[in-house]
Amino acid sequence: ARLVRVDASKAARLPGVVVLTRDDLQGMDPYYGPVVRDQPIVALDKVRYVGDVVAVVAAEERDLAEEALDLVEVEYEPLTPVADVLEAMQPGAPIIHETRRTPDVVFVDMRSVHFQADSNVCSTYHVEQGDVEAGFAEADELFEDTYTAPTIQHGHMEPHASTAYWEACGKLVIYTSCQNPSVVRTQLAELFQLPETQVRLIVPYVGGGYGAKTYPKLEPLVAALARKARRPVQWVLTREEVFQTAVRHASVVRIKTGVRRDGTLLARKVEAIYDTGAYADIGPRTAKNGGYASGGPYRIPHQHLTSLCVYTNKPPSGAFRGFGVPQVCWAYESQMDDIARRLGLDPVELRLKNLVREGDIFVTGEPLISVGLADCVKQAAAAIGLASPECRVLSPESEVRTQHSALRTQHSGLSTEHTALRTQDSALSTQHSALVRGKGLACMIKSTMTPSNSAASIRLNADGSVQLLTSSVEIGQGRSTGLAQIVAETLGVAVERVSVALPDTEVTPYDQSTSSSRTIFSMGHAAQQATLQVREQVLRVAAQALEASEQDLEIQDGVVRVKGAPERRLTLAQVFQARFGTAVGSFFGNDDFQTTGGLDPETGKGKASAFWFLSAAGADVEVDTETGKVRVVRTVTCVDAGKAINPRQCGLQNEGSMLTAMGSALFEEMVFDNGQPINSTFLDYMMPSLEDCPESFQSLLVETPHPEGPFGAKGIGEAALGPVAPAIGNAVANALGGIRIKDLPLRPDRVVAALEKEQEK
Amino acid sequence: MNITATINQREREASVKPNQTLLEYLRDDLHLKGTVEGCGVGVCGSCTVLLDGRPVSSCLTLATNVDGRQVVTIEGLGEDGKLDPVQQAFLDYQAFQCGFCTPGMILAAKSLLTENPAPTEAEIRDYLSGNICRCGTYVEVLAAVKSLAK
Repeated sequence: ARLVRVDASKAARLPGVVVLTRDDLQGMDPYYGPVVRDQPIVALDKVRYVGDVVAVVAAEERDLAEEALDLVEVEYEPLTPVADVLEAMQPGAPIIHETRRTPDVVFVDMRSVHFQADSNVCSTYHVEQGDVEAGFAEADELFEDTYTAPTIQHGHMEPHASTAYWEACGKLVIYTSCQNPSVVRTQLAELFQLPETQVRLIVPYVGGGYGAKTYPKLEPLVAALARKARRPVQWVLTREEVFQTAVRHASVVRIKTGVRRDGTLLARKVEAIYDTGAYADIGPRTAKNGGYASGGPYRIPHQHLTSLCVYTNKPPSGAFRGFGVPQVCWAYESQMDDIARRLGLDPVELRLKNLVREGDIFVTGEPLISVGLADCVKQAAAAIGLASPECRVLSPESEVRTQHSALRTQHSGLSTEHTALRTQDSALSTQHSALVRGKGLACMIKSTMTPSNSAASIRLNADGSVQLLTSSVEIGQGRSTGLAQIVAETLGVAVERVSVALPDTEVTPYDQSTSSSRTIFSMGHAAQQATLQVREQVLRVAAQALEASEQDLEIQDGVVRVKGAPERRLTLAQVFQARFGTAVGSFFGNDDFQTTGGLDPETGKGKASAFWFLSAAGADVEVDTETGKVRVVRTVTCVDAGKAINPRQCGLQNEGSMLTAMGSALFEEMVFDNGQPINSTFLDYMMPSLEDCPESFQSLLVETPHPEGPFGAKGIGEAALGPVAPAIGNAVANALGGIRIKDLPLRPDRVVAALEKEQEK
Repeated sequence: MNITATINQREREASVKPNQTLLEYLRDDLHLKGTVEGCGVGVCGSCTVLLDGRPVSSCLTLATNVDGRQVVTIEGLGEDGKLDPVQQAFLDYQAFQCGFCTPGMILAAKSLLTENPAPTEAEIRDYLSGNICRCGTYVEVLAAVKSLAK
C-alpha cells in the first residue's frame, strides 16, 4: 500500500511513551542495505510486506506500549501485491521498488552483479563457457526440469535482540545479537552520518544466527528510537516478528542438461530465480553465489548459468546457511540421479566420472585448488552403503577422519541397539509392505565470500596469558575455542591461557562477517599471523637473556627453552621481566588478512572464491507409501575441511547442517496466502526435534590442506548442508522406484500424489 | 497480586501482575536469566523450568500459578559449586553449541531421569522432543542422557 497518513500524535501524548514514525526521520537519508539501499528505518512512502514497520512505540511497560500503538492512526491506499516470484518477473507486474541506490561502501564482489531499475528483478548474474546450444545438439540425451524450494526460517532459538543508547557526546552504543558488527557499524555510521569511531557495537554470545543476524536488522530502528527517547531502548523480537524479519530465499531453478550415453556431461543451462522478498538485504550476493555454482561440482565443457534476485511482497530474504547453493544443489543433484537412471548407470560412478579435480578450471575461469571431492563422494557412498569396491580407494593426499573417539563409538553401540529394534519393526512391517526403503547420495561445491577481510590483534600479558581481539562472533560454532587453539598452538601456550574477546567495535578490529564459513580460514589466518609476530618478539628477548640464537629456541606450554638444553629456560613472565624489569607491559601482534578475488562485471569470470567447499551426503530413508511420510533413518556427511582444527566442533557443525537440511527436505515451509503469512509460529512451522533425528549420523572429514588456511584449514559451517536435501530426495526416489518429486518439502501429501500419478500412468 | 513461591530452594514473596508469566517473573524480577524465551507459545522448550518437579513451559505459566509451589531453574541445579550430573554429562558429551536451548534441555533431561532412571532411546527421544535445538546437537544430547541412564 501507499502510506497516505501516519498520525502518532495521540499516542505520543501518553506519559512514559516514545513514538517513532517517518515524521521523525526528516533531515536524514533513512535508507540502508548492504548491497542496495532500499530498506527504510520505518516505512516512508510505501509498505511492501506484512511486517514492514510503520510506527514503533517504546515504553517502560509492554501494556503501555501496546495501548499507545492502538492510538496510532494510519491510512493506506492499497496497491496490488505480487507474492509469486515468477509473476513478479513478468513485464507489467506491479513495481515494488521504483528506484535503486547503492551504499557508500560497495563490496568488491558486488561489482559483477547487474542491477535493473524499473523491474522487480533486483539483480542478475551470468557466466558461461563454451556454447551450450552446440553442446545440447551434440548430446545423446537431454534432461530438462524445474526444481523449487519454498521460503523457510532460520530457526535460531534466540530471537533478534538489540539494545541501543546514545552517549551525551553523541556516540551511539548498541548491544546486539549480530553476526557482522563491523559491517553494521559502517552502515549505521552512513545512516546517522557519523565517523565509525562514534558508533560502537558490542556483541555478547549469540543464540544461533545461521545468517539471519547478518547485516542491519533491528539496529537502525532501535538506534533512531533511542536517539529520540534520549534513553536506552531495547527491542527483543517475538517469534512471530522473527518470521517477518528474515527468511531464506525461495527458489525456482530451471535446469537443462545434455549428456552422452556413456554419462559424460556435455552441456548445462541453468536459470536460478531467487525470491528476495520486499527488500534486497544480501540477496544479490546470494543469487550470484548460487549462480556460478549452479552447474555443480562437475567438468562440463558448455555451461550457461544465470541467476536472478527478484523482489516480491514478502519478508526480506537474506543470508541463510548455504547461501544460495542448497537451492541449486537440490536441482542439479536430483537431476543427476535421474540422468543415471535413464542411462542405466550407477549414480555414484556417474558422479565420480564427471567430478571436478584438483587444478581444473572452474566455470568462473579460476583453477580449483584443495579439491578433496572425489574422496568425499567415495566416503559418503561407502558409509551409506551405495559404494562399489572402487569407492573405498582414496587419493594419496587425503586423510579421512571419522567423527571420532570413545564418545562416538559408545554412541554408535547404543544406536545399533536401537537399529536392531527398528529392524524388528521393519520386519513386521514388510509383511504389510507399505514401507519401502531407499538410499541416495549427493555432492556439492560452494564458494566463500571473496574478497573479504579479517583483522586480528594479539596482546601478550606480563603473566603469560594471551588476549585475542577479534570481531568474529560466537554464534555457537565454537569460534572462541577454535581461534584459541590456533593462537595457542602457534605461540606455544596451553589453550586455557588464551582468551578470545567478545566483539566490541571500540576495541576489536575489523571482521567482514561471521558467515560464509570463513572464520577459521580468514580470522584464523589473521590470528595466526598476529601470534607469530608476538612469538618473534618473545624469542628475540629470550634469545638475548638466554644467550642463545632464536633458531635454537622453542616455546612449549608457556616456557621458552633452548632445544636440547631444557634447563636453560624462561617462562613468559620471566621474558617480561627480562624486557621491562618487572611484570608490566604488553607485547602486540596485528594482522589484517584480505583475500583477493572478484569477478569481472562483463563476463562474470575471475576469482570467485579464496577456497571452495566440497562435500557429499548420503541418506537412507523409509517411506510409508500409504501415508506418504518420509522417515530419515540414517545420514552421512563427508566434508573436505582442509584441516580439522577441532574435530568435535566440525562434527557438531555438520550435524547442524544435516538437521537443518533435513527439516527443509521433509517439512519446513513458510506458507503465504497472496503474501499474507499463514504459519508464523512454531505451532505451525515445524523444525526437526530429537524425535526426527536419524537413528544414526556419521560425520566424516577429508583433509586436503589449503595453503592459506591456518594449519591447512578451510571452512565447515555450511559445507555439509547443500547435499543433504538432494541425498534425501534421491533416497526417496530410489525407495519409490524412480518416482521423482521436484518440489520441497517432500510432504506426505506430495509423496502420495506422486505415487497416485504414477499408478494412473 | 501477592504470591509466595519457593524458587531454587529459597522461599520468596513477590507482588506480580495477574497477566505476568512465570518466565517474566524469573527474568525481570528475580534476574534469573538462564531461562529464556524462544517461541512464546510453549512449543520450543527453551523456557522450560521444573514446577513441583515437572517440566513446564514458563512462557505459558502465569506467575500467580506458582503460589505455594516449588520452581527450579537452571541456576538451581548443582550444589556447593559442583555441577549437577546432568550438567556434567552435557559438558562431557559437548551436548550444546550456542547454548540457548541448553538450560531447558538440561532441566527436561533431569526431569526424565528422575521419573524414569533407565529410559530407552525411544523414551528419551519422545520425552525430549519438546526441546528444539536448531544448532543441531541431538546426537550428543542423546549420548549424554544415555550415559546417565541406569
